Amino acid sequence: MLDVQNLNKSFGGVQATRDVSLNFPAGSLTAIIGPNGAGKTTFFNLISGHIRPDSGRILFEGRDLVGLSSLEVVRRGMARAFQVASLFPSLTVREAMTAAVTSHQRRSAGLFSRFPLSGSRDRVQELLELLGLSAKADVLSANLSHGDQKLLDIGLALAMEPKVLLLDEPTAGMGPDERWRMIDKVHRLWQAKQLTMIFIEHDMDIVFKISQTVHVLKYGAVLAQGTPEEIRRNQDVIDAYLGTDHHMALAAEEA
Amino acid sequence: MRRESLRDLFIAAVALAVLLVLPVLFPQPALRDFLVYVIAYGLLAMSLNLLVGLTGLVSFGHAAYFASGAYSFGLLMQSGHFSVPMAMLCALAGTALLALVIGAICVRLKEIYFSFITLAFQMFIHSIILTWVDVTGGDQGLRGGIPRPAFLGIDLSQAGTLYAFCAVVFIVCLLIMRQVWQSPFGYTLRMIRDNPARANFLGVNVLRMKLGIFVLAGTMASMAGILMALFVSGAYAEFAFWTMSGEAIFMIMLGGMQVFLGPVIGAFLLQTLNHYVTIYTEHHGLVLGLVILAIVLGLRRGVADYARDWLAARRTTREAAALEAKPAKKAVS
Amino acid sequence: MNLEVLAGCLASGACVVTQISSGLIVGMLLFLVASGLSLIFGVLGIVNFAHGAFYMAGAYFALLAYEQTASFTAALAFGALAAGVIGVAFERFIMSRVYGHDVLMQLLVCYAAILIFDDLVKILFGADYKLMGMPDAFATAPIQIAGGFVPSYYIFMLVMALAAGLGLWLGINKTRIGKIIRALAINPQMVGALGINTKLLYAGVFGLGCVLAGLAGALAAPVRSLTPGMGLSVLIESFIVTVIGGMGSIPGALVAALLIGLTRSFGAIGFPLFVDGLMFGLMALVLVVRPSGLLGAKAS
Repeated sequence: MLDVQNLNKSFGGVQATRDVSLNFPAGSLTAIIGPNGAGKTTFFNLISGHIRPDSGRILFEGRDLVGLSSLEVVRRGMARAFQVASLFPSLTVREAMTAAVTSHQRRSAGLFSRFPLSGSRDRVQELLELLGLSAKADVLSANLSHGDQKLLDIGLALAMEPKVLLLDEPTAGMGPDERWRMIDKVHRLWQAKQLTMIFIEHDMDIVFKISQTVHVLKYGAVLAQGTPEEIRRNQDVIDAYLGTDHHMALAAEEA
Repeated sequence: MRRESLRDLFIAAVALAVLLVLPVLFPQPALRDFLVYVIAYGLLAMSLNLLVGLTGLVSFGHAAYFASGAYSFGLLMQSGHFSVPMAMLCALAGTALLALVIGAICVRLKEIYFSFITLAFQMFIHSIILTWVDVTGGDQGLRGGIPRPAFLGIDLSQAGTLYAFCAVVFIVCLLIMRQVWQSPFGYTLRMIRDNPARANFLGVNVLRMKLGIFVLAGTMASMAGILMALFVSGAYAEFAFWTMSGEAIFMIMLGGMQVFLGPVIGAFLLQTLNHYVTIYTEHHGLVLGLVILAIVLGLRRGVADYARDWLAARRTTREAAALEAKPAKKAVS
Repeated sequence: MNLEVLAGCLASGACVVTQISSGLIVGMLLFLVASGLSLIFGVLGIVNFAHGAFYMAGAYFALLAYEQTASFTAALAFGALAAGVIGVAFERFIMSRVYGHDVLMQLLVCYAAILIFDDLVKILFGADYKLMGMPDAFATAPIQIAGGFVPSYYIFMLVMALAAGLGLWLGINKTRIGKIIRALAINPQMVGALGINTKLLYAGVFGLGCVLAGLAGALAAPVRSLTPGMGLSVLIESFIVTVIGGMGSIPGALVAALLIGLTRSFGAIGFPLFVDGLMFGLMALVLVVRPSGLLGAKAS
């Protein structure tokens, strides 16, 4: 589905991504982990067309995405949600979702019809129910709770009917209970939609519990990749996290 | 047709009836003249609000299209080869083309840069009007009046007919703009206003949408300019001067930018203010400047926005219905 | 278009010298105004639409001082200082209240300020245009260079503007206060946390920008007529200069200002009706080809 080959990017002498090659098979659920500054978000920015790599290839269904704008990447079928929910504060949940669905239907320049278009209503309702946001459909996006904002952000990406969904720390800024509720929703979403899902996560319990494959980045390069079980026992990974994230070491010991 | 569309049509019909009846009830020519100014400037401010309030693009050069409409219409009519409707269509199309060329450059810039470059292009057009004396009459404006030959039995040289014509065009333009606000395109523009980067990640071609509304708003502004040219039977370089754009922005701020008809309220208030200020003092700029400072630094939002927020707050606190009409009136006066 | 006239001018050394000198002084005035605009933008992150009003204030206050004291040195100092003082007051009492608000508010505040300043000038100095006349010290025969005549005042203006620009550049890049100002542009919270009064710094930077505009106005007073509203065309042109040179870049402003100045002086011979068009064409070209300006750091 998505095959990244020898990706490189540097910002003014600092190499944020070095020779990253990763493969994401169709329908897989992959976690990307790594200490702070490992280049995880940069990796998302590169593959979603937000910034252009210095070299390397990003093969999406066999075609190279390098050089395409984020707009074109979205239209090819790769959508993303953000670490800090990126919403439309003055629109209600339903309006925002409808606008996103309308955009996906390529009807966002329509002048002669009235918003919301009848063809988008069912789809929006279905998405709202999937996310559990139906009850808050008429709340302004700006007035949602933190968790619901993250959900709506994911919902907007889902409106693009993506084949690949990138989630940048879906549980960022949440308490322990809320985290599990959120990740449970994400997991069910993955099962229901049969997406290829890639997510960045800091919480190792979550990573090891739900992901099929784990890729570890450090200083912009791939440190290790494998199943959660393999990563848990990988000495390089344990070393990388000792001193930066004690939790990883503990999680490894528990195993 | 949807219920909302029918409601809009009904409101438009009532508004048109009121506009047409007012001069019958109060036949002083001064009132009619005042209303035509409110119509022309109201239309200018409404068209600008497609950019400012709906898309979040603060253009400081919108009067360029007002002037373009007025001058091209006036010149076409003076050539003697065009009927009024034909000249109007050509002036609208010509201005749309101008807005397309200028907009293609301007929409690449964000925020305050966008404001500045639109202002710069407006001053460019102003300087063309001033220097190209053979065609535009320079700082004297288009001389010799604009002929208004009758068409389809409509004789615009009669003051009453001209007023009715302006009122009808005004209401039709408002309906068109209402449709833009409520269309999928209108909601796409709201996405761009709130978060252009996110809109782009949701498959919205932000630059193209911005250019689209820029051209549409410019075309609407040129309609306002055409009405003004018809009414004053001429076109003047001041139409393209930066103060015209400044006043249009202030009308929007004064009336409110998040309520559809806010700019018209602003145009009405500013025209009233101008009327009294010019009676009492020659230092119009000083007074206007102080009023603007007081409102911007004191109120911080428009009258209609203020009323809307107040109503929303009241609805949430669920106060007694008996208080309903009073504070809304207070906010408008 | 008069391309023959332009070719004729380019063939004559005298004409070239005259046009270059007049282009240089136009460019230098623009450079001073634009570098102030650029400085304020670079540090405070706002575009001061009312900047032209400080150019006007500089010119009128210089005229006032010159009429009172007959000293051109006093006129220059007073014009620049008065613009600075008004600038600090404007920043403290008005502009600082709309920091962090949307562009619309900043725009309206500046619009109001221009209306008020223009009307105040009308009230204080009259609506008619005023002339200051050449100061006695420069009422000498023009200097002859390669057959062309250059007024000695032009040389003085050139030196003054370059000195001011150099001083500004050295001040920002080589002094301690300059270092703090640069830090302020990047991370105001950090500067505030170091116990430095950022409000005072903002006002100071805004005032300094206005001093530059005022100095430009005062320098222009002997060679330009003074009218209420004279700031607007300078504002537009210096905005074009900052766009071409790159917002926030002082060397960029210098290069672009000279480019515009020379374009204007030679364009006035070749295409008298199309000088503005030439300038705008240049700006449009830069925006399309290099949106961040010739020497600008980041895209706007």
